[in-house]
Amino acid sequence: MAEWGRTTLEMIVQDLQRPVVLDESFERRVMVRVRRLYAQQRKRKGRAWVAISGTIAHRPAWAALIAAGIVAIATAGVLKARPQSAPITVGGPEPVKFVLVAPGAMSVAVVGDFNNWGLNDSALVATSNQGVWSVTAPVPVGVHRYAFVVNGKQWMADPTAPRSSGDDFGMPSSALVVEDSTK
Amino acid sequence: MESADGELVTRVLHGDVNAYGVLVSRYRDRYARYAVHMLGNREDAEEALQDAFTRAYRSLSRCEEPERFGAWLFRILVNRCRTSGARRMRRSQTFVHDEGALLNASEEHPAEQTMWREEIERAVGELSPDQREAFLLKYVEELGYEEMSEITGVGVSALKMRVMRACDRLRVLLKEVHSG
Amino acid sequence: MTMRTTRNLVLLAGLASMSVRATAQDPRLPARLDAPTIAAINAVVDSAKAQGIPIAPLYDKMNEGVAAGADGPLIVKSVRNLSMDLASAHRALGALATADEIKAAAYAMHAGIPAVELGKLKRQSGLRRSLTLPFTVLADIVSRGVPVTTAANAIRSLVGAGAKDKDINDFQRNVKVDIEQGAPPAAAAETRAKGATKSDKPDKPEKTDKPEQIEL
Repeated sequence: MAEWGRTTLEMIVQDLQRPVVLDESFERRVMVRVRRLYAQQRKRKGRAWVAISGTIAHRPAWAALIAAGIVAIATAGVLKARPQSAPITVGGPEPVKFVLVAPGAMSVAVVGDFNNWGLNDSALVATSNQGVWSVTAPVPVGVHRYAFVVNGKQWMADPTAPRSSGDDFGMPSSALVVEDSTK
Repeated sequence: MESADGELVTRVLHGDVNAYGVLVSRYRDRYARYAVHMLGNREDAEEALQDAFTRAYRSLSRCEEPERFGAWLFRILVNRCRTSGARRMRRSQTFVHDEGALLNASEEHPAEQTMWREEIERAVGELSPDQREAFLLKYVEELGYEEMSEITGVGVSALKMRVMRACDRLRVLLKEVHSG
Repeated sequence: MTMRTTRNLVLLAGLASMSVRATAQDPRLPARLDAPTIAAINAVVDSAKAQGIPIAPLYDKMNEGVAAGADGPLIVKSVRNLSMDLASAHRALGALATADEIKAAAYAMHAGIPAVELGKLKRQSGLRRSLTLPFTVLADIVSRGVPVTTAANAIRSLVGAGAKDKDINDFQRNVKVDIEQGAPPAAAAETRAKGATKSDKPDKPEKTDKPEQIEL
């Protein structure tokens, strides 16, 4: 055996890090228990989960507006009041407002991870208010990459949001982190 | 398309039991390794993991950070492994039954490889539960001491000491095997 | 009024023909991926699944490639590279990292930040703090010219001082403006990090002797 040292420790760790794969039946066994619990809960309470009281949250994520040139903001703003009887919502989509100041544009759309990059006609179409284009849409909590599509062909990053690397296809993009407003 | 943990937890909380199945399949193998090493055999590990999943389901409404469901579940599993009582020494069943993994082992010296694995497992099994837990969390699960502290409730300095002692003990145990 | 209704109205107004056509329906773009490309991507996804790494970012990358009009081999290459970055990020961050943290870390690695730096940050921060935004901002300031070590130190000092996501957002915005106004990137990051940790005096992360015991 090699002399004890870092190498030996690494060998031990490497061995212990080998994946352990459980039998397929494991999942079934757990789910049998879980379904039984679910049935009991339904029977006992009449409904599965107790609601908790709502909160009002307001969380701006990206908020900046620069006057000159093409300026954009993507703002995650939330004003929610859940009725006490409603079930708790955790980690669901949050409304995000995307804004691009592009006075000369004929059209502006938003494509990104959250809408399959506009495939199948899913791009978010912004509307213009004297050249300030905006659209608000629910975006899942998490980190996303996105871009504006100006005039149907020109991709551009959001100038006020963090840049995103990974422009493998020669198209600039931005990063958006959507926070969970329930926390 | 893969759903995030937070979304799946929300669906479960709204009564979609099947969404829990996705979480089970996502974490079962990832955490089985820790349970197997901690408890020393597959049977107890599966039982502990199954229990951890069931406990997590029952208290899912108390999972404060659903997007970190995995970390929360892991904490439950670590607690469950601690309370599962004395490690039952079923050495003959340990790892040797992990045939898939063994097949992937070095084919040059399969007998040596198997022996080495058995020695490692035996040595890990000789560690005290505290030392074993600290060693596995630090080196096998590659957690930082802060994370370990949050999971175990033990101070960082105590954890460092446990890891150091675990390494010392492993060194002695593995040397003994080879010298004698 | 729902978003869909709004969109339909816009379409009726005749504006859509100029707006959303940079998609798969555009005849200039590949309408569908060919069979070899799909098979190659499936193989990458299966391998990722087996390693326990998030696969949603891989589909996102594929969709991005299709929407951008890239050809099959380039899309496969990008998906494969991202898969490798996700795997490295997963290894660096450890078993308890969230899918979002892994994704943000993978893109930070793509921006040139070594996995080891991200791992250090993760180990420093513990479980209570999500590093999704810190990783994202780290990648951003490096892309603006802040040296990797300086950027990593700045983010580490912010996270270490208990900075909230809002503080990290402010930091990114300030560094960006400073650089745009001509400040040397390293100086901007160093100064803003110091400023943020001194003036904000954020709460220290809570430290408890015992973790939450889950009573069942």
